[in-house]
Amino acid sequence: MAEEPKQAQAPSGAPRREGGSGGHGGPRREGGPGGGGPGGPGGPGGRPRGKRQYFRKKKVCKFCVEKMDFIDYKRADILSQFVQERGKILPRRMTGVCSRHQRWLGVAIKRARNIALMPFAGSAAGTQAPRAVVPTAAAVEAPKA
Amino acid sequence: MEERLYDLIFIARPATPEEEINKVLSGIEHTCAEKGGKIEKTEHWGTRKLAYRVAKHREGIYVYQQIRTNHGELIAELERRLRVQDVVIKYLTVRLDEDLKRQKKLVGKREQRTARRPRRTPPAPPAAPEQTAAAS
Repeated sequence: MAEEPKQAQAPSGAPRREGGSGGHGGPRREGGPGGGGPGGPGGPGGRPRGKRQYFRKKKVCKFCVEKMDFIDYKRADILSQFVQERGKILPRRMTGVCSRHQRWLGVAIKRARNIALMPFAGSAAGTQAPRAVVPTAAAVEAPKA
Repeated sequence: MEERLYDLIFIARPATPEEEINKVLSGIEHTCAEKGGKIEKTEHWGTRKLAYRVAKHREGIYVYQQIRTNHGELIAELERRLRVQDVVIKYLTVRLDEDLKRQKKLVGKREQRTARRPRRTPPAPPAAPEQTAAAS
């Protein structure tokens, strides 16, 4: 639907350019919202439209469910669930995290980035690997002896 | 001044021998002893992949410590020393006690709430509230 009027205007706009700039302004302005309007909902706006049709599943904050009062920046395995593949922090509307936990989550992710547990940008490969906690040398020797 | 709890993580070069890391650790210990700090915990996470390149390395040896101290200068001194060390490619110190205090407060609040409204889960066995308290 959106493509058709745009294509129709494009050829008509081209010859008018020769005529004068005054006439050119009209179709251009029409083409702008016509092309941009459907383009916008097509991307991020497509979801609310679909949601209205289907029933909206209520998202609950994962941290509230688990009653976490402290988001540890060292747990990259948890944090990586709340970032995009490229390392961006996911918005609350996508994950359903409550505002309080989102705030803490942001801080935790930024701390994790600082110590190279999470990427600033780029793939998150490697962060998913489970953390191998090796006890201290003293602790290892103690049970043996 | 009240006692503060800090996290200290440093990443050593992947090819660092064990003694070098122990040297760094003993250096931290020495500084702590000098300035009045206590190392609560030491964890060797071993070699881990870094999320991005640090000093041209893609892997690093992580060492994690918790330090309790009254003196903020200790942390400044530790950071200064870590910065100087060649073996250490990255470090991070985070003050933890404020977050933990907040956590304690929230846990306390939740317990109060559950204590105030025991009617909400009357059929639940007495073990259930205990479990939730332990989980949180």
